[in-house]
Amino acid sequence: MSAPALDAAPVLTVAEVYAGYGRGDIVKGVDLVVGAGEIVTVIGPNGAGKSTLIKTIAGVVRPRAGTISIGGRVVSGLRASQIARSGMAYVPQEANVFRTLTVLENLEMGAWVLPERVRERLDLVFAHFPVLRQRRGVAAGNLSGGQRQMVALGMALMVDPKVLLLDEPSAGLSPKLVGEMFEIIANVNRAGVAVLMIEQNAVRALEMSSRGYVLAAGQVRLSDAADRLLANAEVGELYLGARD
Amino acid sequence: MLQILFNSLLNGAIIAPPAIAFTLMFAILRFPNFAIGAYITVGAFAILYFNDMLGWPLVAATLAGMAVTAAIVWLTDAIVFRPMRHLPSVTMLVVSIALSLILENIVRLLFGGDVRGFDIPLMRPVKLPGLRFTWEQLNIVGIAALATLAMHGLLKYTKLGKAMRATADNFTLAEVRGIGTARVITATWLIGGALAGLSGLMAGLDLVIEPLLGWYLTIPVFAAAILGGIGSPMGAVLGAVCVGLAEELTAEFLAPTYKVGVGFVIIAVLLLFRPQGLFGQPEIKK
Repeated sequence: MSAPALDAAPVLTVAEVYAGYGRGDIVKGVDLVVGAGEIVTVIGPNGAGKSTLIKTIAGVVRPRAGTISIGGRVVSGLRASQIARSGMAYVPQEANVFRTLTVLENLEMGAWVLPERVRERLDLVFAHFPVLRQRRGVAAGNLSGGQRQMVALGMALMVDPKVLLLDEPSAGLSPKLVGEMFEIIANVNRAGVAVLMIEQNAVRALEMSSRGYVLAAGQVRLSDAADRLLANAEVGELYLGARD
Repeated sequence: MLQILFNSLLNGAIIAPPAIAFTLMFAILRFPNFAIGAYITVGAFAILYFNDMLGWPLVAATLAGMAVTAAIVWLTDAIVFRPMRHLPSVTMLVVSIALSLILENIVRLLFGGDVRGFDIPLMRPVKLPGLRFTWEQLNIVGIAALATLAMHGLLKYTKLGKAMRATADNFTLAEVRGIGTARVITATWLIGGALAGLSGLMAGLDLVIEPLLGWYLTIPVFAAAILGGIGSPMGAVLGAVCVGLAEELTAEFLAPTYKVGVGFVIIAVLLLFRPQGLFGQPEIKK
């Protein structure tokens, strides 16, 4: 668990990436690697550029410089809809379901790039989230926050991703649901899907991660094995102690 | 009474297909396309060309005219709107007004400003107790109903339709899930153009064909789409019937010239009191 070194070939490599909106960069030269089957968490204060970083990896924000590759294939500069075919699936923090579509239609849209495997993937998603099978005919906008989050994650799983990008997967969930969500992420990971996430529940996220990155002012300040970050007094004081 | 109901349905039938087109374009492209009326004019003249000038039967001429209209409407996107996709919707609205003037005058240039009609046999109107209608009018209502059903089926049951709804619902998420939004947009223009072409047939059958044909329909189409809750295709159909009824009642109790103003009144009242439309849900602000 504590080995920071990457045994397996990386599924996601971010090299010297700069990105931002309008004038000035928010992400300033970030290097980051996710190995196959790993869980990696990015922590950092508000405004550190975590969300921009994950959006850039997903292709929602275009990188201004640097390269992003998935499974050895360079995807930086491609549109989000093309990156969706590369084996990476991104779950945004907000507006992450089609509210006017039913649960089943949402999941079908998730499988847009993998139409021939809809049945098989649906079974798998329903196995992870049995409640979604019962509620498959309900418009996603009418679901509870927790169930909506399940639809969002389920949609991403429809493409059989090698790596999941999760932007604050526990945001807005009740403490009980936060636990469930982390358990589901761990289950998904055990099935071989690597995870890169941003999480405000930094301690809990790091506890289930193999490695972590500390992002501040758009740059990586520290990267280490997750347990060592948790034990690091300075990190604890600056980023883990005071939950914001 | 029966007559008023039939006439309302007839008015609504002509407005419904372009109202669906307008509301779909709005939902996916995020601007009110004022040129919808001009698209109807283009449709009517395209059908007129095949029917009256080439002598094709009306059904064949209609199908060909719808295809031509779809292609022209798609071209207006490729030439005019696509390069401006990043501009605010108010700018796009103004651009679409300019486009509708341009289209109208191209039609005038090609066909002249004369009043025309399709080349179809004259038929005696059907007279029933309390109801009088022509076969064309009956066809118009039937065609509109079929077109509405077809659109409903397309949006609900086909892959393309679901993708269109998904793209309308959340464009960024549609991109993230790999839905080819560019293709969805193309399909939206083509389908919208075909619907406008169909409306050109119906308007041309019920009214006379002239370069301003669609101009008179633009405001009622807007009103129907807003009434139905903009972005909701089936709402637009209900809105069209309501606008049709309001127009008919106005003509019944006031001078017919006031009919033109009905759409404006509906839009003004709705925007004041219920901007999400009669059947729409208020947008959730987070």
